[in-house]
Amino acid sequence: MTAAPAEGRGATALTASPGDRAGAGSPARARPEDPWRAAAAVLLGNWTGTATVPSRTLYPHQWSWDSAFVAVGLRHLSPRRAQRELEMLLGAQWGDGRVPHIVFNPAVPHAAYFPGPDFWRSAGSGAGGRAGGSTGAGARAGAPAHLETSGLVQPPVHALAALLVHRADPAASARRGFLPRIYPRLLAWHRYLTADRDLGGAGLAAIVHPWESGMDNSPAWDGPLARVEPAAAASFRRADLDHGDPADRPTDLDYGRYVRLAADYRDAGYADAAARHGFAVEDPCVNALLIASEEAMAEIAAELAAAGPAPYGAGPRPGPAAHRERAARLTEALVARLWDPGAGIFRGRDLRADRPLDGYGVAGLTPLLASGLPPAVARALAATLAGERFRLGELPLVASYDLTGPAFDRTRYWRGPAWFNTAWLVERGLRRHGVAGPADALRRAVPALAAASGFAEYVDPLTGAARGARDFSWTAALALDLAAEAGGWPAAGAAAR
Amino acid sequence: MFSLAAQEQLLPGDTLQQKWEFAQAAGYAGIELRAQGDLRFAARLPELKRALADGVVMPTVCVEMLHFFGAFDAEQRRDAVVQLKSQLSVIAEIGGVGAQTPASYGMFSRRLPPFAPPRDAAGDRAVLLDGLAELGEHARREGVTLFLEPLNRYEDHMVNRLEQATDLIRATGLDSVRIGIDSYHMNIEEADPAAAILDNAPWIGHAQVSDSNRCQPGAGHLDWPAWLGALHAAGYSGWLAAECRLTGDPAAAVAAVPGFLRRAGA
Repeated sequence: MTAAPAEGRGATALTASPGDRAGAGSPARARPEDPWRAAAAVLLGNWTGTATVPSRTLYPHQWSWDSAFVAVGLRHLSPRRAQRELEMLLGAQWGDGRVPHIVFNPAVPHAAYFPGPDFWRSAGSGAGGRAGGSTGAGARAGAPAHLETSGLVQPPVHALAALLVHRADPAASARRGFLPRIYPRLLAWHRYLTADRDLGGAGLAAIVHPWESGMDNSPAWDGPLARVEPAAAASFRRADLDHGDPADRPTDLDYGRYVRLAADYRDAGYADAAARHGFAVEDPCVNALLIASEEAMAEIAAELAAAGPAPYGAGPRPGPAAHRERAARLTEALVARLWDPGAGIFRGRDLRADRPLDGYGVAGLTPLLASGLPPAVARALAATLAGERFRLGELPLVASYDLTGPAFDRTRYWRGPAWFNTAWLVERGLRRHGVAGPADALRRAVPALAAASGFAEYVDPLTGAARGARDFSWTAALALDLAAEAGGWPAAGAAAR
Repeated sequence: MFSLAAQEQLLPGDTLQQKWEFAQAAGYAGIELRAQGDLRFAARLPELKRALADGVVMPTVCVEMLHFFGAFDAEQRRDAVVQLKSQLSVIAEIGGVGAQTPASYGMFSRRLPPFAPPRDAAGDRAVLLDGLAELGEHARREGVTLFLEPLNRYEDHMVNRLEQATDLIRATGLDSVRIGIDSYHMNIEEADPAAAILDNAPWIGHAQVSDSNRCQPGAGHLDWPAWLGALHAAGYSGWLAAECRLTGDPAAAVAAVPGFLRRAGA
């Protein structure tokens, strides 16, 4: 509600690369030299009063998994604000349980981002929506009546974030009633994923659009996307190229396919059972995060049980054992369906073609987050990370795609660059399975490279050079988190090999 | 889900019917009226009845005068009681639930010179109990409720916190007097607004919402999820009425409030 316009804020101007037009002409605000304070300044600067935008320049609304990662870092600055970040996201939840991947800020012009509210039409367009409840494309799926959101989802890292946020200040959490209020929403979210989105029938959640993976332009989607008839280029206007470097962003052809898939889903009323999905994939990262979040739900359920009986009207509360059992079942299905023992990595499954996806992507390494992963699988993943395809140890972070792969592109969005959130997930997964050395190295590299890059959206996996937006929220948040875990910000040289 | 209302002056439109159309489209379920002195609210009765016949929902009225039933001046007190009784009768006649008033507004602050009020605390209490008894009795007869609104220390020196209102209401022994809470004043006066809601839960009858800066919810930094969560936990089932200033484009600002409050848990 109090957001600045989508145009640049000061801090970006200081770190703008030649190809980065964002922030040009806006007054410069000096970035604090101390990395902790610099990261804090990014998060405080990207707070809108309601939630945190991923970037003032490129992403002027609230994004689902961004907010979860942001909350993980915000908890070190303000546990209360971290709780509110998650609450405001889950406050936009649909009646069917889905947590939309974008919650639009009504104070930002509709044209500032494509696809915007006029594309998704979740609640019906026009100021304030319409009388008598939701009349938009999301009405049947229970989209909120007076909010504009997208109809897609993003990976379910929210329960894990909620647990971490709670633990940052259990007293503040209890005082605000954080867990009792957020638990039923997380429960409905996971129900949606494991029921409505079990399109493959094996118990795993499927995604119906590449954007739902959070790794929008990964080469993993090239195969299934090739079957999709692109929307006519004249039928939409991209807004991402106004601020991003076209060389880093998806091609127009791919963008036309994204638009086609989203429009078809919208036109089917966002109904998962009825829709004929042109794209349906069981993604290893989505399901790994679902498992990690179910494990977190077990901890949250235990906290709630310890706090006493549920108040009247609180709704069902499966106990910790039920959540652990769900996590175990999901882990079993993940390994049975997506593990490729010959390749030493998890591969997404294309449900339309009924076959595994090609290539080696960072998503396939994130099942390390599942604590019930068979030890041999965890060892194999660690070996893949250290091998020629990802070269962890030699390189500071984890490339989004196989360094030796045919589609590898060190600058283009999710086709090679290294992201800080996937590094955070891999760090957590390695530590969970006792692979301490590489985990420690990542814990040093993330904060060091984040600060050195001006909290870049992503970096060149080979050189660490900053790419994409600067002052990117989750980069600052997760750097803060790992620096806090390490007990201090690592020296600038820690990211070097 | 709480029912949401907006005060009439916030809504665009020349008539209550036009305002109602806008309010419904934005997600409001009612309009909170404002009542001026000199019996001007009663004079609006034909207008209000026409609006009622046209389907406008008007659950509550908020007094808009410069003297109140807790005034130092006896004549002003008497007039305030006359006005408020009339307002309670009118809101009853159009099917509403009650009228909201503070003890006083802009009369005295212990935080501003000369710091010491001309009437002592015992005198204040006696005046307030007299007024609440007479007004509460009238509300009971009309089948509506008088909502006593604690204001912040700069606007009133007598009733600032929910517990003070609860204490006075208990003393009247009347079910027809309840607290009308206001998020803006609570933010200044309560050590923990959510805890204050829970502590005074049975006594809360109405709720007005505005943000930390008196602007529309979402424009400031109040902890809305906690405040609304406390109202849910308290079993509150009344209205949330926006009484606020507006920042930005006024129509867009007031239209954005229902979406924001729902998202924050209302």
